[in-house]
Parts: sequence; structure tokens; C-alpha cells
Amino acid sequence: MEESVLLPITNENGYYEIRLESIGGLGANLCGKMLGELGAMYLKLNAASFSSYGSEKRGSPVKAFIRYSAPNREIGINSPVEKPHILGLFHEAMIGKSAVTAGVDENTQIVINTTATPDEMREKMKLYAGTIHCIDALSIAMEEKSRINMVMLGALAKVSGFIPLDAVESIVKDTIGKKYPAMLEGNLAGVRRGYEELLSKTFEPLKDDSDFEYVPYEDVKSGWGYENAPIGGVNPCFGSTVSNDLSASREGYIPLFIKERCINCGLCDSTCPDMVFQFEKGEYKGKEMMVNQGLDYHHCKGCLRCVEVCPVAALVRGVEKEHPDPAFSMRNKDLLQEEIEYEEVGPNSYVTSESYLTEERVEGGLV
Amino acid sequence: MKEQKMLFESGNELAAYAAKQINYHVMGYYPITPSTQIAEYLDQMKADGEHDISLIAAEGEHSAAGICYGATTGGGRVFNATSANGLLYAIEQLPVQSGTRMPMVMNVACRTVSGPLSIKGDHSDIMYTLNTGWLILFANTPQEVYDFNICALRWAEKVNLPVIVAFDGFFTSHQKRNSQVFVDDSVVKEFVGEYEAKYSALDMEHPVSIGSYMNEPDIINNKYQLHLAMREALDELPIIFKEYEELSGRTYDIVQGYQYEDAEILLFVLGSAYHTAKVTVDKMRAKGKKVGVFTTKLLRPYPAKALYEICKHAKTIVVADRQDSYGAGGGNLSIELKAMLQEYQLAIKVISRVYGLGGKDFYEEDAKALLELGYEKDAIAFDYLGTYTGEQDYSVTPLFAPLREKETAIECKTLNESTAMPKRLAPGHGACPGCGIPVNVNMLMRGIKGNVVILFQTGCGMVVTTAYPKTAFKVPYVHNLFQNGAATLSGLVEMFKQKQKRGEYPEGDITFVMVSGDGGMDIGMGSALGTAIRGANLIIFEYDNGGYMNTGYQLSYSTPMGAKSSTSHVGNMQYGKTFFHKDSPMLMAATNMPYVATVAESNPLDFMKKAAKAQKYANEYGTAYVKAISACPLNWSDPPNNERSVIAAAVDSCYFPLFEIEQGITSLSYDPENSKKKIPVSDWLVMMGRTKHLGKEEYRSVVESIQAEVDRRWERLKARAEHPLL
Repeated sequence: MEESVLLPITNENGYYEIRLESIGGLGANLCGKMLGELGAMYLKLNAASFSSYGSEKRGSPVKAFIRYSAPNREIGINSPVEKPHILGLFHEAMIGKSAVTAGVDENTQIVINTTATPDEMREKMKLYAGTIHCIDALSIAMEEKSRINMVMLGALAKVSGFIPLDAVESIVKDTIGKKYPAMLEGNLAGVRRGYEELLSKTFEPLKDDSDFEYVPYEDVKSGWGYENAPIGGVNPCFGSTVSNDLSASREGYIPLFIKERCINCGLCDSTCPDMVFQFEKGEYKGKEMMVNQGLDYHHCKGCLRCVEVCPVAALVRGVEKEHPDPAFSMRNKDLLQEEIEYEEVGPNSYVTSESYLTEERVEGGLV
Repeated sequence: MKEQKMLFESGNELAAYAAKQINYHVMGYYPITPSTQIAEYLDQMKADGEHDISLIAAEGEHSAAGICYGATTGGGRVFNATSANGLLYAIEQLPVQSGTRMPMVMNVACRTVSGPLSIKGDHSDIMYTLNTGWLILFANTPQEVYDFNICALRWAEKVNLPVIVAFDGFFTSHQKRNSQVFVDDSVVKEFVGEYEAKYSALDMEHPVSIGSYMNEPDIINNKYQLHLAMREALDELPIIFKEYEELSGRTYDIVQGYQYEDAEILLFVLGSAYHTAKVTVDKMRAKGKKVGVFTTKLLRPYPAKALYEICKHAKTIVVADRQDSYGAGGGNLSIELKAMLQEYQLAIKVISRVYGLGGKDFYEEDAKALLELGYEKDAIAFDYLGTYTGEQDYSVTPLFAPLREKETAIECKTLNESTAMPKRLAPGHGACPGCGIPVNVNMLMRGIKGNVVILFQTGCGMVVTTAYPKTAFKVPYVHNLFQNGAATLSGLVEMFKQKQKRGEYPEGDITFVMVSGDGGMDIGMGSALGTAIRGANLIIFEYDNGGYMNTGYQLSYSTPMGAKSSTSHVGNMQYGKTFFHKDSPMLMAATNMPYVATVAESNPLDFMKKAAKAQKYANEYGTAYVKAISACPLNWSDPPNNERSVIAAAVDSCYFPLFEIEQGITSLSYDPENSKKKIPVSDWLVMMGRTKHLGKEEYRSVVESIQAEVDRRWERLKARAEHPLL
């Protein structure tokens, strides 16, 4: 057998560990699988790769874990990566909504898909320490007709310091090249640019700044435990999903409401899976009827079904970034409380298969 | 040793790989997480022409077990894979398989048994099988899943008993590891050899009766034979492992220990957690603690002597149980270990801890906490590890007012009016962007006035609405597993009626609605038909997205023919699903129930009108059945914004015609021919990624047969609508 690559650093168990944080649909699972396979088949290491077994549904948080060890060292640990050597962050929107930087310290390489600079990202993440590598994976993917995960794969390989570009190119050729030969060149270009176009900066811990403290990895706990949870798993909090903020599910677009065009036909409300539209009794053209007052964007997942069915273009597609504060944004009209605390929805505990279908779902592109 | 190659694959992939190399005759299965991938990978390999196992997707695990049993009576090789409640649903068949001595191999990717429903890994399912007469191997790495699958078949056929190869769901089933497989399939085929069944229902020269009617005095002898076979199996397995070692270079013992020889404190653990514990043992050893860990690869027959050899010098054994035999003071691992210690007259202290339920991760610190219990003088004998009390001041304030009769007394004649109907479902649920399920449930509810109680069968709709600790339902809601929703809701209806009759509940109506996917209407068809025949006062609402989307899109009986799914791949040898979509409205109509209707979101007013009718029929006459075609952007592989047009095309192509059958009288609600909107079914099929390939010339005959079937059903429907007697 060929000789294996030498791992530059390892933890106390002899493992090199990678954690990918993403939302479903960006292909972090496939990226994780490819990293694992790179380690095992191309670098001749011992490797393990698995995902958080949360949902792979579009838009929900996904974690993927990769462990490498020397060929003569067994990988005994099956639990999630708590202190990653590399953290890959596939989507900026996750920052602040879950503890994506848990276990990250000065030894961590952090790869982020963003248009921002490392300094801006440190500020945004309130990062304790580590080396931040920014890469505009979305733009590169679009320019090269590749996918975000391919650009990230190149970037992750680069920051590892031991995964050579030619090994990454080989695995892309052997896997994607075989299945989707037409997309090979674009994906190879995406990988290469990911490898080459990083904007990097190292940050030391900030002494005496409590906003930038080390975040330890912790298993999530619910407020309900065995002393206070209703027995039998019964849930008396009817309608409580309303406090979920689902905006991270959107893929860059939101519906914009142009009220003066609206004829209050109700088609938008009939097609919205997320009960975003707020109709209340009112007057339209001198007639008493239900009138569309606006949208609760907390629950809008950006599917744009409403834009498609609106007969008068009162709902149009807008780039979310350009409309940080869309007009006619309002809270769900039926809410009793003046203020409710919205929370980022976590993985909803339902795994879907890792079949190729789920990896091929966006307009023929690989996710 | 035979030539091997390295693969980087998961336990599920390797189980499928071994099955392919063996080339079983038949696999009967029903998809259930986390074992589903085994059938999926086999289907992919079949589409690529790598094996010719007949893969039969049953309509439920009970039937899957029946298919397997029937196939084994024909004297061939049979394979299955399941998990959790699927295993329990099949469990009635397990003693039939073993009691009539028909060998086969079934993989169990272990998962928590419901309820509440959990899809993740623990050992609560596998421990139900201890008394079924099956041999049970437990693999704790993907490599062992592969190796045990090969050894299992030899073992099964040697002693004429079926074998379960169990392993941790997700931790082993989904984790990819470096693994070795034989390069040449023939190595595996030679190792398992030819199977000559003792008896076969296909042997015309020597007719046999399989499955005698047998009472005392005979049954005790029959069971004693099974017991003897178990004893023989215990002797045979090490021989098979030894022979396998010569091929593979991998040594297996029926039990396995690490640093146990001189250990004072031993941890006994099953499955993947063993390897984590070994890491902890090394660390504690480095600090001078005499600790060790051991596991078993064998649950049946129970390897008492081998376990005794490992345990005999220990002072304390901490048993980590990934399930509880509630009320017994330990899980089955604990209980049986204690029985072994008693048998060998060993006075070793045993401490039991239940851990890792519902997929809760097992960290190094957990292994350490368990081993340290051994040093605690007054550690209690039995407890749980990893529970917590909850936040003391945790309270949840109501977010909505309850929806009672008066809030929902709204007549909806137009879509504008219908926006006034309060939604029974709250926003914030976890459905995919553009999902049709909430759209359809909301549209149904617009047409239903007054009090509503909802039951969801297992499926996407249920999972995305009730992820603990939240729920999207604003009205009373019940979940039950999807073979049983209709019966469950009919029980609730009976309770309502009884209570009203006895004056224990106020006068007035409640509309009871069962919601199910088309998957639930496969496995739950019997229950739904029975409920409709009994005339229970409820609505059965089916959202048909044509697949088991919840588990990653396996084919359902309602999946369009030719569609690709993860159990009907498209390849050189296969064009997708091979049989026509189920005509469930006609099946339901055959019960002579008072109301059957089909609806589509593209015709919202018709939809709401039918919902109102269904309510009337359910409350006054009996069971009503309403079926909607429901979009799934994720697995239909089409853009979410476009789904209403895709639904409209399904209707216009007459693939999904809109009609109703009221007290036996059929009427068309919308005739695309009359309005000159009828399109060929292929126009609809090519709108979706899952059926796009059917647009290619090579699949023309498939499309033509779909069109012919759609036309035939449409013509029959028109004839029914024209003739009141049909």
C-alpha cells in the first residue's frame, strides 16, 4: 500500500477533526462524505464521516463530521466533533442563531462562505480566536457553474495543509465526473478557485472582552426535563411553532408586497405553506371584505409560490439582501403576546436518505 | 487469504454489498429509517445490473415478513432489513419463521421504539426479538456488518434458523469507515456455498406440508428441537468465524474484551459505544485505574460461558443498557448478565445504567462516568444516565387563543372570505419551502366550520409539525403510527359519542379528521377500509405526493409508473417504478362509503366545497374520504414556486381527475376535455425531475402505457359519471 499522508496536528486521541455547519440544500453532507473518502482512499488514512442525522430538508441546519487518524490508529469515538481543527461554515445566516463556533479556539481554521472580510466575520461571530478564511463560494459557484460545496471542498482542503489539490481533483473526477460528466469542468474550476481565493487572517484571544469568550461544545437541552415535562410527551403549548424564525431557510429571495396593486383575491394566502399572509377585516374599493395587511416574514421560507400565483403582480420577487426591512412586514395577527422570543429552528430530527436524488435536486446541479 | 479492496462505506452500504455478493433470490422489505438505505443501495445496484435479487417493496413490514417467509418455504435465499416499529409490526411473523425452521437473514439497524416517535438509535427494538427463536448477531462497526452478513447466512443454513444481524442505527448504519470487502463476488459465493433446503414447497416430487396444526404433546418437542438448534448454533459460530478468518484475515470472537484480564471494574456495553469506552479505558489506565470494557457480538444464543471467562476476576461490573426493561431494574443486557453470574455462582457487584436513548450521543465523558461508578461505595444499583430535571422556572405562555366553535363559524364561498377562517395549523412548522402538505391541510380546513380534532398518521406532515418541544397544532391533535390512524381516530369518535350519550360531554359537533400521506394509505389501507366499512364518523384526508418523502423518497404504490425514487432507480436495467399508481379513491369507494372526493389546490373553490361536504357526510352519515395531490419540491425535483402549475397539469392530463362520489353517485367536478385544456400525461411528467427522463425516446413505451392506463381510468370515470348505477 502507498504511504499515508502525515497529519500535521492531532488531538489527544490522535485524530484530526473537521466539523461542517450548514443548512440543508447546500451540500455539506456530500462535502463531508467526500472529505472522508479523500482521507481514506486518497490519503490512505483511517477516516470516519457522518452527519448530524438531523433533517436534510432544504433550509434546516445540518452538521457533518469528519475524523482522520494515522492508518495504525483506530477511530474509536462516534460522537460529534467538539473541538474541530477545521470548522466549515456554509452559510453566514447561521451565525448567532446556533452555537456554530462551539469548541473553536486559536488552533482552529475557520472557512466561511461569505463576501465579508475576516475582520467583519470575527466581529459578527464574536469569535474567541482562530484563523478565519473567507471565500465567496456562492459567486464562484455561479460563475463557474459549480456548487457551493465544491468551492468549500477546495477551500477546506487548502486550509488543512495536508490535502493536496490534485487529490481533491481526483476525487471530484472519480465521483462527480463519472455521474455527471457534463458538470465536471465547472466543478473542478470551483474546487480550484476555492483552493486559491481565500482571504485569511489569524486572530488571538481578546483578553478582558466578555463578548468574545470561548464557547464550549454542549449538547442541547430543553427547558422541559423529567420533573416538569408533561407526561407521555404530551404537548399543551398549542401553536407554539409560531415562535420559530425560519428566515434562514430562504435562498436569497423574498416576496415583496406592493399593496396598491393588491386586489385581495386571497390566492397568495391559499398557496402559502407557511401562513405568512395577514388578512383582516377592512375595506377595499368601498366594499367590506378581508384585506391583505402584510406578511409575517419570520415564517417565510422564500418558496415564492405567492409571487407565481398573484394575478396582478402585487407580489414580486426581491433579493433579500437589498430589502433588509421590507414594507408591510407585520407579526402574525392572531398572536396574544405583545412580545415573543423568536428562535432559530433546529434540526427537526428527521433524517432523509442520502440517496443521489437529494444531491441532484437544484435544477440538475449538484447540491 | 483472498484478495480484498478498501471501500469507504457505511454499515448500511456494506450490508447491501454483502447481499449483492451473495446474490439472494428475494428481498421482501418495507422502508423504515435507519435501515432503508440497505434496500436503496440494492435497488441502485440492481438498476446498474450488478445483481438480480428480486426486491419486493411490500405495503408494510408485516407483509414484507410474509413475503420473506413465503420465499423461504420455496427453499431459496432470502433477505430483509428493518428497524424499530417496523420490526415490531413484523414480529408476529418472526416465531413463524424460526418455529418452522426456515433460514434467512434480516438486518436490524437498531432504533428507538415509539411512542413518542423517535427515529434515532438505541436498542429498544432489538431486545424485543430475544424470545423469537432467531439467532442474533450484533455488529459494532461497518466492517463487522459486512463480515457478519456473510457468516450469518452460512450459520443460518447450517442450523436451519433465521438470523438477525443487528447494529446501531445511524452510529453504525450511517457512519462511513474504511472497510475491506472481497474483490471477487465468487469468494463470497463459495464461502456460503450452495443451499440445499431440507424441505421446499416447490418440491413436486416430495410434497410436504409446512406449518402443521400442532398442540400438546407435540409442540414441546418441536420447541425442544429449536432449543437444540440454538445449542448447536453456539458451537457452530466459532467454527464459521475461524473459516472466515482464513479468507479475510479478520478474527472474530463471540465476545470481545479490552484490558479485562486484571480489571477490577468492567464496563459491559453493546454496539458502537464499545469503541468509545476503549478510548476511555486507555486514559483511565494511564492514571493507574484498573478498568476494562467488554461487549458481546452474540445476543442469541446467549454466550454465557464466554462472558463468564471475561468477567470472572472483576469486582464490579457496570452495565450500560441502551434500553430499559421497564420495571425490571435494568435493560436486558443487565438482566441476562446477572443471570449468567448467578449460574456461575459469581458474587460480582452489578451496577446498571440506562443511557443513550433516542440517539443521545455517547461521549468519552459518559464512559468515564460509568466506569467511575464502580469506585463509588454506595452507587445505587440502577439508574438512568443523562436525564435532567428541567429548568425550574420554565413556563410556556399561551401564544394563541383556543379555536372554539364560534371563532370558526365562517362560511367560505370565495377565497377572500376564506382568509377569515383561523388556521388550525400555526406557522413556524418545519416543512420544506413550497411543501404542499400545509397548503392542502389549510385548504381542507377552510371548508370545515366549528370544532375540529385532527389525527396525523406518521409522515412528513406529522414530523414537521410536532418536533418537541413545540407543536404547530392549535386544535386537539393525536398521532399514531401509519398502519393504524383510521382505527385510532374511530376509537376517539366512539369515546366522544359515548360521553355525549352518558351526559358527560356537552351537546354539539366535533369534526374528526385523519390526515395521512400516500405512504400511510399503503400500510394503513386495511385500517382505513375497515373504518370506512364500519361507517365511523370521520374524514380521511390523504395528501398524495407519490412517495415516502419522509424517509428520503422511496416508492409508494401511488408513485407514478416510471418515476425514479430511491427504491426505483433508473439505470441500464431499470426505468424507475415498474407498476401503475394506485387508484385509492376507487378502493375506498368500493366500501360504499357515503362520500369520496378528489381535490387539488389548483381548483381551490372546488376543494373548499368538497371539504364542507365531507364534513357534512362525516358528521351525519359515516366516513368521508378526500384525496389531494400534493406537491413535494424536494423529491419531485421541481422549483417550489411552480408547484400549483404542476398540480394543475396533473389535473388537466387526467392523471389526477377531480370528481366526487356522493352516496354512490359519481360526478365529474372538472372536465379538462370540455374546457379544451386536456394535455397528454407526458406534458405533466416532464415538469418534474423525478419523471423528466420519461420524455426521452427510449422510454416512449413506458409513457404510452401510462397514457393508456390514465385514459382507461378516465373513460371509466366518465362512464360512472354518466350512469347512475355505476
